[in-house]
Amino acid sequence: MEFEAVIGLEIHVEMKTKSKMFSSAPVTFGSDPNTQINPIDMAFPGTLPQVNKQAVINAIRVSHALNMKIDNLVVFERKNYFYSDLPKGYQITQQFRPIGSDGYLTIQTSQGEKRIGIERLHMEEDTCKQLHSWDFSLLDYNRAGIPLIEIVSLPEMRSGEEAAKYVEKIRSIVTFLDVSDGKMEEGSLRCDVNISLREKGSTKFGTKVEIKNLNSINNIQKAIDFEISRQSIILEFGGHIEQETRRFDEGSKETVLMRVKTDAVDYKYFTDPNIAPIKLSKEFIEEAIKSSPELAESKLKRYKELGLNEYDSSLLIADKDISNYFDSGLKSGCSAKLLANWVIGDVQSCLNKDGESIKAFPVSALSLGKLILLVEKNEVSNKQAREVFAKMIETGKEANELVKEMGLSQVSDTGELLSIIKEVIDANPQSVIDYKAGKDRAIGFIVGQVMKKTQGKANPALANKLILEEINRR
Amino acid sequence: MEYMNKSLTQIHNALIKGEVTPLELVKEAIEKAKKDDNNAFEYICEKEALEAVKKLDESNKDSLLWGVPVVIKDNYSTKDIPTTASSNILNGYVPVFSAEAVIRLEKAGAIVIAKTTMDELAMGGSGTTGHLGVTYNPWDKSKTRIVGGSSCGSAAAMASGIVPIALGSDTGDSVRKPASYAALVGFKPTWGRISRFGLFPFATSLDHVGYFSRNVYDSAYLLNVLAGHDDKDFSSSFKEVNDYTSKINEGVINKRIAVIKGIIDSIKDKTVLASFDESINYLKKQGATVDVVEIDINLLKSIFPTYVIISCAEATSNNANLDGIKFGNRIEGESFEEVMMNTRTNGFSPLIKRRFVIGSFSLMRENQDELFVRAQKCRRMIVDAFNKVFEKYDAIYCPASPSIAPLIKGSSDTLSDEYLIADNYMAFGNMGGYPSITLPIGFENNMPFGANLTCKPFDEANLFSIANEIEKGTGLKDLVAKEGR
Repeated sequence: MEFEAVIGLEIHVEMKTKSKMFSSAPVTFGSDPNTQINPIDMAFPGTLPQVNKQAVINAIRVSHALNMKIDNLVVFERKNYFYSDLPKGYQITQQFRPIGSDGYLTIQTSQGEKRIGIERLHMEEDTCKQLHSWDFSLLDYNRAGIPLIEIVSLPEMRSGEEAAKYVEKIRSIVTFLDVSDGKMEEGSLRCDVNISLREKGSTKFGTKVEIKNLNSINNIQKAIDFEISRQSIILEFGGHIEQETRRFDEGSKETVLMRVKTDAVDYKYFTDPNIAPIKLSKEFIEEAIKSSPELAESKLKRYKELGLNEYDSSLLIADKDISNYFDSGLKSGCSAKLLANWVIGDVQSCLNKDGESIKAFPVSALSLGKLILLVEKNEVSNKQAREVFAKMIETGKEANELVKEMGLSQVSDTGELLSIIKEVIDANPQSVIDYKAGKDRAIGFIVGQVMKKTQGKANPALANKLILEEINRR
Repeated sequence: MEYMNKSLTQIHNALIKGEVTPLELVKEAIEKAKKDDNNAFEYICEKEALEAVKKLDESNKDSLLWGVPVVIKDNYSTKDIPTTASSNILNGYVPVFSAEAVIRLEKAGAIVIAKTTMDELAMGGSGTTGHLGVTYNPWDKSKTRIVGGSSCGSAAAMASGIVPIALGSDTGDSVRKPASYAALVGFKPTWGRISRFGLFPFATSLDHVGYFSRNVYDSAYLLNVLAGHDDKDFSSSFKEVNDYTSKINEGVINKRIAVIKGIIDSIKDKTVLASFDESINYLKKQGATVDVVEIDINLLKSIFPTYVIISCAEATSNNANLDGIKFGNRIEGESFEEVMMNTRTNGFSPLIKRRFVIGSFSLMRENQDELFVRAQKCRRMIVDAFNKVFEKYDAIYCPASPSIAPLIKGSSDTLSDEYLIADNYMAFGNMGGYPSITLPIGFENNMPFGANLTCKPFDEANLFSIANEIEKGTGLKDLVAKEGR
């Protein structure tokens, strides 16, 4: 029997707004526990929620990027349940009217292009972080109230690869829009997988299994691939699938049972009476979209128009900060192609060596652009530029300053260069004879001598041209 | 010389003339509070009040509240002062912030001298269900009658002449009903007019900050102090704040007042009806038009059940934060589930649990359409019916209670029309978020009763001017129980 996997994803994205979804406490990561909180986050009696406007703007932008319909009335519901990590005893969420609905995104897989439908996108607040010890638990309320968006796909993915591509795309969108860090390993992007198998060709759905605890895109793919083979084997042998929640175990690369699902919990949703429905004007929604940071796709298009090839362009947009760096460098007016080479090559290798973020890179994009301009104007050679670049990293000084300090300015003065060339040729008559006898390599020797005499400062292209002219004259 | 049994203006004049100092006022209030035998207080803030007097801002001397002792219902968050909402589950809870209404009172120069008892978590109308037990009606020296709730302690403190202003809260009629039983002016504004930040929520969509005063002028003046937008309350209105005392003497000429037939018909007490008629005749004499207007009796009868469903549903969610995990009176257990279960089982009285069960039941997936959603539809119909009356009339005027304060042991659960309508109709003011005021209109066997006046949203200035005219007619103002009648 041949099976087909039916996969839907629920993605939670932690927003990096300045303050929380419903309180003015700051949103930070890695702060000491319970330092980024206020009475609202602790649900002290009498506290009331205030809606974070930036969070709404972010949700509009992501909805737009996912081709969704945007609801112009923002309404929040209460999801009621008791849990130790839930301060109010309810979570404020958007159950009945998600801000975004009915969208899609397009992914590229080894099988070609595929469109994945997205059911809904809504805003909600995060719970506190729990640290369980053997006989006690600790609660960190720093996370309580951080704005989240939840993105629910339709069950339209069929493989681990498709799911991985889908998450990659979502991650790219939320990071490029400055909505989130999108770091799965740090929990700022979390993904739950719903997966069932059915006989190929069937339109009925099989029993759904949920997989949690997936902390990388790689693991999503592995977990799904494992789950497909696990369920296939069970079904192949006539068994049936239990409705259950499983987690991915990194050690064994397998999914393991967490709990068997019983009847769905009744969350007793109702509209939060503390938050009067907010009417979003057409202008507000349009402005949110218009002022939205540029998405990877649009950057890709722009880079190609600048003459970059597909490969370089896609390397640049693989990371939002790298592409932003590249964009700032362009402002210097230097060649896009050269800049791309530098960013992808020299800059990246420096970063990889030190494991640093480009945001902390000591050479600003504009300074790099200026260095490249010097190369373009033949004022320094490529080789020299690399030396200057190394010094820039070290000292933080600008390229033109370093070129002077290091005495690197190329000899591009034709008169000066020509007299040196004449000297060299005069001293090496055999080379002229060799060249005229057809030994092209002889030129190389002359060039080398000129370079030696100028201590490498001769502009190589100019030197080459003048040498040829001089030899031909003799 | 006593001052705490006087009106704000009288006290203010004495302060300005130098007859008395804020410190002496605070000492008088605290002295009286300590002698209270009606169970009005959760906590007397003697030390805090004496500190606050020292820090009084002299530049604020023009405020009628400057140096004036006040009491606060125990469901307002008060920084560094224990706040329990008269529930065991909050024993030991000391808030880290003050409610906006409290902050505004203090900014105007008021000195908080005590937190007052209430029905547990404001859920009740008798003033008998708080964790400190029954609060008595100061007008009844034999201590056999309720003062009404849920703002029972604030009402009792006022009626005993301990303070001239008391903060209460009103979700169904929790200020306006006790006002009727205690010869006080009890007021709640339009929903959104006063910030609810720091008021422990009972039923958010019905909750209002409310308060007691001894006369209509003080009530209007206090709204000047408390009204206005607050960023901390997303439901608070941006509408500008008027001087609510400015029109107070404009009279009632050409004003149109509606008396609701079904409400009057459900009242049997002849004394109540006679005093009410008297005040109507006075209003007519002063130039008002007073008409008896009909509202579908079934709608009037549905106010109470609608209120029960909506308030219990919201309450069960609003109080889900009281789980022993973060604050309050935690009862330990083997797991977090056990901690929550133990804390809530021990912390809430059976009456509260009953309300939570009703609320949860009506929100359950299989019942929500039939109960909660239906109650909301019903609320809309009720509000529509009253809005229709407001299209033609400035105010709706009816007795605030069908009788004087009931006996503690005599309340009945039977659903008579009197109970269903006259005893519970005032919740329409919460459903529509209308400004609403109760003021005394008469006595029976030395026990007071009042009438209620309600206007359309944000029409507070009009409300105070009509109420002031009624007060002139009855001459019933600045009343204190122990002076008798």
